[in-house]
Amino acid sequence: MNKKDLIASSPYKPEPKKVIYYKRETADSFTIRLDWQLDHKPGQFIFCSIPGIGEAPISICSYSDKYVELNIREVGNVTKALAKIKKGSMLLVRGPYGKPYPMEIFRQKSIVIIGGGCGVAPLKGVIEYIDTNRFEFKDIFLFFGFRTPDELLFEDSITHWQKNFKLKVSFDKIVGKSCYTGTQGFVTQQVDNVIKDNKNKIPFICGPPIMIEKTAEILKNKGFKDEQIYISAERLMYCGLGKCGRCMIHGKYTCLDGAVFRYDELKDYKDD
Amino acid sequence: MGENQYTLKKSRLQSLIEEINKNGEFIGPTKGSNEKNIKKSLFSKITNTEQIYLKTKTYYPVKTFFFKPDEVLLKFDGNNIINPEIKLKPQVFFGLRKCDLNSIWHQDIVFLEENPDPFYKRRRDNSLLIGYHCKKGDDYCFCNSFELTDFFDLMFFEKGDSYAIEVGSKKGLEFIEKNKSFFKSGKNLITDADRVTKNKKELKTTDIKDLYNNKDWEKGADKCLSCGACNFICGNCHCFEIDDNINFDLKTGERVRKPASCQLRNFTRVAGEHVFRISKLARFKHRIYHQIQYFKERHHVTFCTGCGRCIEGCPARIDWIKIINEMKK
Repeated sequence: MNKKDLIASSPYKPEPKKVIYYKRETADSFTIRLDWQLDHKPGQFIFCSIPGIGEAPISICSYSDKYVELNIREVGNVTKALAKIKKGSMLLVRGPYGKPYPMEIFRQKSIVIIGGGCGVAPLKGVIEYIDTNRFEFKDIFLFFGFRTPDELLFEDSITHWQKNFKLKVSFDKIVGKSCYTGTQGFVTQQVDNVIKDNKNKIPFICGPPIMIEKTAEILKNKGFKDEQIYISAERLMYCGLGKCGRCMIHGKYTCLDGAVFRYDELKDYKDD
Repeated sequence: MGENQYTLKKSRLQSLIEEINKNGEFIGPTKGSNEKNIKKSLFSKITNTEQIYLKTKTYYPVKTFFFKPDEVLLKFDGNNIINPEIKLKPQVFFGLRKCDLNSIWHQDIVFLEENPDPFYKRRRDNSLLIGYHCKKGDDYCFCNSFELTDFFDLMFFEKGDSYAIEVGSKKGLEFIEKNKSFFKSGKNLITDADRVTKNKKELKTTDIKDLYNNKDWEKGADKCLSCGACNFICGNCHCFEIDDNINFDLKTGERVRKPASCQLRNFTRVAGEHVFRISKLARFKHRIYHQIQYFKERHHVTFCTGCGRCIEGCPARIDWIKIINEMKK
């Protein structure tokens, strides 16, 4: 075989990393930790692949120079296959990709973090970043909404954050086996009750499209500007390199220009 | 390099083809197969000048030689990744028109500028692009609506019984020098009149920003069959998906890249069955806006090259040029 015919390095080539932690969070989601000292920033994502099944973009839900943590919800072919991975085995990954939250421009500002369901996962990385660099920021508000107490994510972290930040957890319905206590109602109501004005505050919203829309509406009624609000977008992706064109939203690539966007960049093209 | 011009006698083209085919491949426009009465011109390997078809542009674009369908990105055996190989003979492309050449340049921007794609690069590095000046477009051409650029290694102009040749790159000049015996050097062989391309169609405006919510887009979307022919036949369209093909041993297989169409419903479908551009209208507009506006916003050049293949190849013959021209602001 001629050596020059081989394509030895390519941006599509994943590398194996060891799974050092596995925890089932809810009936359909789990958290894994990889032995991977990856230089990344909050809001970025990676691709995980299972040969024969395919690849899926997964947001990083930690901020650490020792490991990479991922929270994965079993909704598609790849994520369902990923759920069967065991502690100690190898996982093929590539990354990081995406434009992170521009944390450096938020110094001396208050951050309002609003997460819904598995949208809490990417925000966990942001909170860990803030926790590490706490002196850089003013007040921190956390609002997490889940459908039921059974679907609560990161219970241990939430207990820890409750000590340092203003945190509210709410559930759409209080049913099921879990005895975790929180307020009943949508996360939007909590935001409406607690946040009084837009003074020096930067909201980050991540969750289902309808929740992002409703939350942004409430914030705007309180004087928040579109340019002040940051959201995470979800789109189908195959490359993460700005080539496959699948994640394009009105000319912007979610993989290169996002997945974190300023609300004014996307608000008119929610369904695009 | 305007001063550096050459001529090639048309009668000598056959022996040049033979010379190239000794170690490489001479690829040019051919009439295509005549099976089942389908006669659609395309680029393919040429051994004889009689195969060359220069009357009109080809029905199919040249992109499949570089942005290859079913490109193997990697092979796997369980969790072991095996590097793929691409075996290629040097390829000389002949008869590329201005629209074809600009499409190649646009794909170069996508695949080579940011995060270079080694598969595309390997195929492009292996190629020499010889253009053929198009004097008169066919019924669908509207390339004069855009500012197409000179992007070629060599450009051939019709001059009676010979071709006048303009050199566009170092690679082109090296090719001439390597095959010196075929070419005769000359000066000022190509006049301004030679460089003209006539069009029957014209896109009157490339500023469609304020037309996004115009009702007239429905004229096109209503007729659209969502077949995706326009995407596959376009020289620019580069969207793809990556699929794993696994063998019967359930262990080994390949990860392949396949072209995709933004006109299909599942183009934006994410896990959980959510589709973002669910209406045909949104998908129809997405293609046109990517061609005319989005790419320009990012790379400062209009994506569409005005070849008109998407109109010619559309089974519903949706003439989006006419739709935009007739739109009222």
